[in-house]
Amino acid sequence: MGKVVGKVFTLLIVVLAVFLWVGSAITSLTGGEKKAGGAVDMSPEGGEAIFWGKGRCYTCHSIGDSGSAVRCPNLGVWGDKFPLPIGERAKERAKQREKDTGLPYTPADYLIESLANPSAYLVEGFKNEMAVVYAPPISLSLNEIKAAILYLLSQGGEVDVNAINNPTELSKKFYDRVIAGSQAGGGDPGHGEEVFMGAGCIDCHKLKGQGGDIGPDLTTIGTKGFKSISESILRPADTFTPGYETYTVIKKDGKEMFDASGKKVSGVKIKDSADSVDIAVSAGVIINVPKSEIKELQIDKNKSVMPDEIVEVITVKDYQDIVAFMLLQKGEKKK
Amino acid sequence: MHLLLKRLFKWIPLGLLLTIIFSTPAFAFDSEYRQVFGLDSRKVVWFLAQMHLYFGAFVLGVPLFAVIIEVIGWKGGDKRFDKLAYEFTSLLSVAYATTAAFGGLLAFALFTLYPTFMGYMAGIFKDVMFIYALLFFGETFCLYLYYYGWDWLQESYELRVTNYELKSKIGLSLKFIPKALGGLVLVTGILFFFGLIGPKMRGDTKVFMTVLYILPLAIGLFIIKDRKSFHIFIGILLNIFGTAIMQLANSWAGFMMSPQGVTEKGDLTGTTWQVFENTLATPLAMHRMLGNLAFGGLVAGAYAAVKFIGSKTEEERAHYDWMGYISNFVAIAGLIPIPFAGYYLGREVYSTSAVMGNNMMGGDFSWTFIIQAMLVGSLFLISNYYLWSGMTRIPGAERYYKYIKYMLVLIIVSFAIWLTPHNLPLTGQEVSGMGGSQYHPTLKFLGLMPAKNAVVNLIILSTFFSFLLYRRGNKGDTVPVTKQGKLPKIVIPIAGLISVLIVGQYAVYLLGLDPKVLDLPPDRAGYFKAVGILLTFECIAAVIAVVLALKDRGILAQWVYLGATAFNVVVFLGVYGFIVMEKASPFLRNIAVSQFLQLISCIILVSAIDVFLFRGAKVIGELKWGKMTVRSQYALLLLTIIITINMGLMGFIRSGLRSDWHIFGVMRDTSDWAYTPSNYTMTQMVGLCVFIFLIGVAFMFWLGGIAKGKEVKELESSGVKELKDNNS
Repeated sequence: MGKVVGKVFTLLIVVLAVFLWVGSAITSLTGGEKKAGGAVDMSPEGGEAIFWGKGRCYTCHSIGDSGSAVRCPNLGVWGDKFPLPIGERAKERAKQREKDTGLPYTPADYLIESLANPSAYLVEGFKNEMAVVYAPPISLSLNEIKAAILYLLSQGGEVDVNAINNPTELSKKFYDRVIAGSQAGGGDPGHGEEVFMGAGCIDCHKLKGQGGDIGPDLTTIGTKGFKSISESILRPADTFTPGYETYTVIKKDGKEMFDASGKKVSGVKIKDSADSVDIAVSAGVIINVPKSEIKELQIDKNKSVMPDEIVEVITVKDYQDIVAFMLLQKGEKKK
Repeated sequence: MHLLLKRLFKWIPLGLLLTIIFSTPAFAFDSEYRQVFGLDSRKVVWFLAQMHLYFGAFVLGVPLFAVIIEVIGWKGGDKRFDKLAYEFTSLLSVAYATTAAFGGLLAFALFTLYPTFMGYMAGIFKDVMFIYALLFFGETFCLYLYYYGWDWLQESYELRVTNYELKSKIGLSLKFIPKALGGLVLVTGILFFFGLIGPKMRGDTKVFMTVLYILPLAIGLFIIKDRKSFHIFIGILLNIFGTAIMQLANSWAGFMMSPQGVTEKGDLTGTTWQVFENTLATPLAMHRMLGNLAFGGLVAGAYAAVKFIGSKTEEERAHYDWMGYISNFVAIAGLIPIPFAGYYLGREVYSTSAVMGNNMMGGDFSWTFIIQAMLVGSLFLISNYYLWSGMTRIPGAERYYKYIKYMLVLIIVSFAIWLTPHNLPLTGQEVSGMGGSQYHPTLKFLGLMPAKNAVVNLIILSTFFSFLLYRRGNKGDTVPVTKQGKLPKIVIPIAGLISVLIVGQYAVYLLGLDPKVLDLPPDRAGYFKAVGILLTFECIAAVIAVVLALKDRGILAQWVYLGATAFNVVVFLGVYGFIVMEKASPFLRNIAVSQFLQLISCIILVSAIDVFLFRGAKVIGELKWGKMTVRSQYALLLLTIIITINMGLMGFIRSGLRSDWHIFGVMRDTSDWAYTPSNYTMTQMVGLCVFIFLIGVAFMFWLGGIAKGKEVKELESSGVKELKDNNS
């Protein structure tokens, strides 16, 4: 039996040695161990650490011969398709973008847009597979994004720290997007908009002149800040926007009123005429109650028309994305 | 005294774990990370978690097939199966204690080294952790009763005395009680499955709980009629408790990757059920369940292989050859559906976070997945080799040798395609040499998902074909189904109906699928219809196969259905996948599902036909157990080493996908170890775990052998005697 154990042991050692060799070979082929980076300066060097580290840019982009990813455009000089490094290429792309949109694009604007809103101007032959870099798991801060832009500009272009710190009007918009995303714990405002429209929020809330009347107009909700928006979504009954309180209809006999389906008539008062009131109990469901049947309209401070189960039906990511989208809503109300 | 100490030892870690959990309020710690002896805390936890998982997988996997084997022995009246099940179970006792010890050590490490994180987890999962701890009582009780009560619950007499007394008093047979309970459980299960009772939950969780908890419990209660069947019921309970423990623990791992019911700051806003049933919890549990079955089978197979190689007598060789064969058979049964469970898990990872998904297949872990493909491909190749080697012990199997070389070529070519990466690191010069493209002009197609899905299915079909040849090795002419009474006329159509239902329901779904669901324009509906029609043809092929089989043309029926499936799954959908990828990429996942469903339905129907084709067929020669090459036993050992490595590697990927987050998007890992280790570090850590685990297992088997030396010898000789009796 001793011999057998020896042979089996040898087999185990040989297999494990091959396994270790494969791991070692692959690691040296892909550039060795990538340790966690500390805080980075807002400099091309800091950006380089972000590109090849925390930012995970190397997952999809290579720079010339460095890296092995091909999913997204190579950012260095590479074959016939990419004869210019990204710093220089950004100038060409910015010119073309300016031509297409009529807006004054600088190379930095182009790069910032590529990070904040990548689908806006894709490189021919590539799909939008860019991760939202200010959302988990990458979650870059604005300064880290600025450092990454500086690094990209340093690849054949002009590095101007001042231009990055004092952005153009165009870049400011993109910065706002990043800040909103970061404040929301890493939300993606673009996806937040899709969820907002798709999940039915727009059926009750108005946004830039479009949408329902049951809930407050959210066109300027971004000015209220993260805490207020977050609480309004998670605990809508904690604070009511004046005019959007929940009313329960009390009949003449002192009992609560129920509709034909047996549901309590309780919701937002959207119309109050001489003869009747309109109560919106949910999106699209408005009950007209003659005043002759009403003893009083009682404010229910513990109940909001906003669905309680909203936190059950949306994921954490959807919630963060919606909050990020809401934080961007700082515009003027359309009349 | 020794036994008493061993039992006490098992409970110590659990007691300590409970003490820690319930004396630890969330966020009650000053520091977030600590170290012991200056060691890298992440590696300490990595090692302990992996060891706990290895032993845990063995402890959960072995009872699964021990009970299956016991049932086969019980129903077929074949005592050798019963003895084999007992021998497998005897391996469990020491492994159970070791699992608990590593579990306790892991809990200590987590709570002491990652206090903030674990404080938070204990706060969120306090209810689940309580249930988890309580389930151990159930599992321990069942395991002891199952193992130590084996002989006591062996006698097959009915519970006459009590039965008689009860019947005379209330007019009811005692046997009625478990059957009534079984009926009650079954009805509850049906109501639960159709959503009439129980909490609102995902479809996969519902299927998981119905198939693995409610149905086995109902069947277990139904079969109770004597002591032996009661013993089997205990075995079923043991598996239910084990599976539940695994599911609860998986919910923690799933939550760390796809948290639900909490805000981005970690505040609990949902219910405990939401937290428990996070997106990845059930897909993980399904994948792990199958993995455990295959792993448990192969570790037991390795035990048999070592014993076979060291055997001194023919009797010993025959016994351990047979044991190895059964173990490998069970392992393959678990192995075949694993790629599909893995695909489902991967899909859910993508749906949780595209970044996580991209990082998995095309980012930090793309090379790790190539290593994984090498390992899984090797598992299938070596399993086939073992089956082919096994044909040498079957007189009459020479007739099928000619097929082996073709299957070998098919599997190797498929394996090579599976391994082909979509791209490789190239220099700028090399890129220019390829006309400016970053992809190889030909090989790039082999690196894409459609090609990979096609060859994975081909490997599985080939393995199934090998198994069919193995089964009929020593069988003479087929037996006409029309001369076998009613049974085949019931079973074959039912198998056909199941196959048609599996494929047909998906055909109906695809024919009515709205492109909007997949974010595609309306004109892409044609792509769904083409696959829907293909699946309809598969259903027609199933009906034709059933008709042919019932008209005594079973072999032709098998060829028709195998051929149709191979054409649809490998050829048609393999090529069509490329078109879909170009025009309607999101639909690719539905193609993979349709491939899987056709394959499963093929395995079900062809197996059912095969059972009756050779039922009671003339035997060409006696099966020569023990007449197996030593090489084949090393193949079994290699399988065990590879699956153990693969489990460690997959654990690295799953855990690493969170990148620098303890809980994805909720709690960031701010320690010095918050980076993805290289593949070399992975191979070092996994290699170390595999080495220590397998040495530990060998040591435990040796310990078990000392204690049971005499008993096992008796078992071997009696088993071999029965093998001979049965064969003659």
